[in-house]
Amino acid sequence: MLRDIIFVTLLIIIALALSYLTYLGGLGDLPPQDIRLIARSYLNLTYNQGVNWLWAASPEAVTAIVWDYRGLDTLFETVVFYGAILAALTVFRGVSKLPDRIVSVGLSVVVKRTMAIVTLAILTVAASTALHGHLTPGGGFQGGAIASVAPLLLIVVFGKQLFVEKKVSYNKLLTLRNASLGLLSLSTVALLIYGLATNEIGYIFQNQAKALSTLSYPSHMLDVPLGGTLFFLNVFEFLAVTSGFTLVFTLLLSSEEVILKEFEGEEYGY
Amino acid sequence: MKRLFKSLIPTLLSFLIYVIYTGSLRVYDIVTGLVVAAVVGALTSSLIIEDWRKSLDVRRLAHLLKFAVRYFLIDEVRAHMLVIKLGLSPKLGLRPAIVKMPIKTRNDYGITLVSLSITNTPGTVVVDLNKEKGNIYVHWIYATTTVPEESYREVSEVFDEYALRIFE
Repeated sequence: MLRDIIFVTLLIIIALALSYLTYLGGLGDLPPQDIRLIARSYLNLTYNQGVNWLWAASPEAVTAIVWDYRGLDTLFETVVFYGAILAALTVFRGVSKLPDRIVSVGLSVVVKRTMAIVTLAILTVAASTALHGHLTPGGGFQGGAIASVAPLLLIVVFGKQLFVEKKVSYNKLLTLRNASLGLLSLSTVALLIYGLATNEIGYIFQNQAKALSTLSYPSHMLDVPLGGTLFFLNVFEFLAVTSGFTLVFTLLLSSEEVILKEFEGEEYGY
Repeated sequence: MKRLFKSLIPTLLSFLIYVIYTGSLRVYDIVTGLVVAAVVGALTSSLIIEDWRKSLDVRRLAHLLKFAVRYFLIDEVRAHMLVIKLGLSPKLGLRPAIVKMPIKTRNDYGITLVSLSITNTPGTVVVDLNKEKGNIYVHWIYATTTVPEESYREVSEVFDEYALRIFE
């Protein structure tokens, strides 16, 4: 009983002390009550057709910032991410195409049947997240991260030979990833190239028409705003992230026998 | 043609999930939903569908819907009542046991339905199964009997009968 009282008293003291510290600003600045100047201009511009030389044609301000207003920054982030994946693939390049000799029977029939249906749900939700990135929170990377849960779980539940049976090969995944990355890069310079070809002014990472350039990606599709480049970048990023993650997962979930081949001779200092 | 029939139900299911998750029915959502559903349906059909004729059988679907309503409104409530009674009673009157129960369904989805239905109701958990012999091993918090046939009637018969009607 006494221990309980001491415990509760301690909890109350900690909570009070933390609140007091926060109140004094001891844990860093408190979040500002008003919107900062730069945030205000993003919010005012992102879907403001009246200022259509500065808008992004997307009601989702976060995606507009990430892929348009500071799109170059995101491109370099993407490069860092694929650099990491590339590094992982390079380290295991010697064994990446070796067939796995261990045939796993996977988990029980209950888990397998449930996983089959869950796979469908994961992929659907992922695609919706990516395709609505310019309308609601989400986007290509988020969609890709969701989608790559599916192959990870499939390998664990069904065993790695499922990918062999379904003919999902290393080369196919690599091709999909490279094609998506290529198209992603192309959509960032498409208007510049078009401008050069037609002798008009176009910019790198141009989305909608600017004061000096009439070139523009479509601002609407069917009955929703499209956000121009945002839609394309989200779709290609989704495909690239999904295939990139899947590549790494298939590699890292190889059997020990295969993985250890990469480190052969380590004991002799090779 | 066979592949088309095979991917019909997965495509419909995917489209349904897409629309519910997206939460709107604009033209854009329907068009992208159809495209996504067709791709996801084609990709996952061989994983999900074992026999496409069964998947397109309306009577089986009707049984499944009937089972879903019955399961959540009757079986779940009954099991919850029992566990609430056990939890609130002053003396801890538990009779825990792991009981073997023979089930009739041999179909993968059927076994999954029975196992998950038992596990999802409070008080009973399927801990192991033997597909070839058709036995499931259930941890039962208040085992009124440990005789396989009797416990089958008490815990899994309802689910097993529906599993036979839906999947077998």
